[in-house]
Amino acid sequence: MTVDFLIDWFAAMGDFPVIAFLLAVIISGIPIFLIMALNAIVAVYVERKVSAFMMDRIGPMGQGPGLHAGKWGLLQTAADAVKLLVKEDTVPETSDKFLFKMAPYIIFIGAFMGMAAVPFSSVLQVADFNVGVFYIIAVGSIGVIGIVMAGWASNNKWSLYGAMRSAAQIISYEIPAGLSIIVPIMMAGTMNLQLLIQSQSGTVWGILPNWIIFNNPFTFIAFFIFFISAVAETNRTPFDIPEAESELVAGWMTEYSGFRWALFFLSEYANMFVVSGLAVAGFLGGWQSPIPGMFDSAGWELFWFMGKLILLIFVMMWFRWTFPRLRVDQLMHVCWKVFIPIAMFNIFGVGIWKLIFG
Amino acid sequence: MSKYFANIYDTVNTLWTGMRITWRHMMNIKRDNVTLQYPEERWPRPERNIGFNHDNYNVIRSRLHVDIDECIGCLKCTRACPVDCIKIDTIKAPVRGEDIPNVGHTGETSSGTKKALLVSRFTIDMSECCYCNLCTYPCPEKCIFMVGGPNGSKHPIDYEFSEFDRNNLIYQFAKLITPGQKEALQNPTPEVEA
Repeated sequence: MTVDFLIDWFAAMGDFPVIAFLLAVIISGIPIFLIMALNAIVAVYVERKVSAFMMDRIGPMGQGPGLHAGKWGLLQTAADAVKLLVKEDTVPETSDKFLFKMAPYIIFIGAFMGMAAVPFSSVLQVADFNVGVFYIIAVGSIGVIGIVMAGWASNNKWSLYGAMRSAAQIISYEIPAGLSIIVPIMMAGTMNLQLLIQSQSGTVWGILPNWIIFNNPFTFIAFFIFFISAVAETNRTPFDIPEAESELVAGWMTEYSGFRWALFFLSEYANMFVVSGLAVAGFLGGWQSPIPGMFDSAGWELFWFMGKLILLIFVMMWFRWTFPRLRVDQLMHVCWKVFIPIAMFNIFGVGIWKLIFG
Repeated sequence: MSKYFANIYDTVNTLWTGMRITWRHMMNIKRDNVTLQYPEERWPRPERNIGFNHDNYNVIRSRLHVDIDECIGCLKCTRACPVDCIKIDTIKAPVRGEDIPNVGHTGETSSGTKKALLVSRFTIDMSECCYCNLCTYPCPEKCIFMVGGPNGSKHPIDYEFSEFDRNNLIYQFAKLITPGQKEALQNPTPEVEA
């Protein structure tokens, strides 16, 4: 499903390079959007259930469609989606209307572009860049522009505070995330996600699969730094100070309603998907089977990738319903005084390890 | 420097402890769940203790019910009611103590009283009822009662009756009578003597 394959295919049919390109982009964009929507619907349901179970509740329940939201509340998110779409779309009187309306799209574009490079399997990937890791990190920071726009345009103190906190947080945590993702790049010697995953085949230490996380102690620590920084980049609890409900109502999302808010929501869950996908590809062997040499046909590849990704998303939810929110100074302390020094030491350690053992 | 690493160790350790707790709660949800799916499941009703033996005293006073076959239409409950929520209309029966099958009227109560009146309307507005229980004492046939408690054998307890429309709280107890049948009963055609 690479977009290049489609472009070539359309190009072979006739000499219309622009039309071929547009068609290929649209055809490969639709599945991404569907995956985003499906991911949001499923993840919201799972999040509600996980949160409920962790709090000794049972979450959305029902006996059938109609008054209740389906059996076990399965239709709850579908009902929520319908509710969001039919809600009134309000724009504050004193807001900067153009920026206010643009912000959700920019955040959405950031998340959408990230999805394009997620390697679902060795063949299922929309765009196979030779700088895939760099690309995901780069488009991941587009979202912060949208967040600052949303906070500024809302003309609301809560929104502005939320946006500024979010900018500070995302820009800070890009650094440890970037420094940690350098570790798998050093191990594999490539930024191409497919080659990065292919380099993780076989075994290490005799029994463990040769995933980068198991390769040496430095990569093991790097994975955790990357993952926690990724949680911070997606503005999720315990790093949700930009939308801290108890202080800022909803942060930069305060003034949004209806479909615009749904776009924010969709982007948040898509961002979770993308950063988990990057963590899986970079550290957990991507679509490689955990039992080397077995279950590695095309279907299993998709299964293993999605399985690892869903596990990481579940861990994010587990974090959310366990940890209390950090203060701003604690957040900065963790980033600048703990993660960045350790991440730099990791790069050094991996370099030495490669010199001695690799 | 050692404090720095001790701090990191402490953080990781406490975070892991917290995550273990939430994991344990999630895994034991079947045992620890505190939510009751209300309309499908209910808490058991607690045993009432009011300080004296209440075999014959309905402490719950949940809802009024009438065994209409027993009712003789004496209107004593209507007069006892302090809020006038009981409304009864009666028609004189053609023959005292005789069944009228086409309107479901029985001529005699279970205690053998011959009915002189046919109850064409018996409504209790439970949204007005003040649950004073005063209507049940004067009833000569013991046919109006609060459900549950000592009357549990006559009618199951019902204390959660709720409706979307307030008019649905007006409970109808009389047998359905069409206007034509009512007309026929009120103006009986004189029997033509042969």
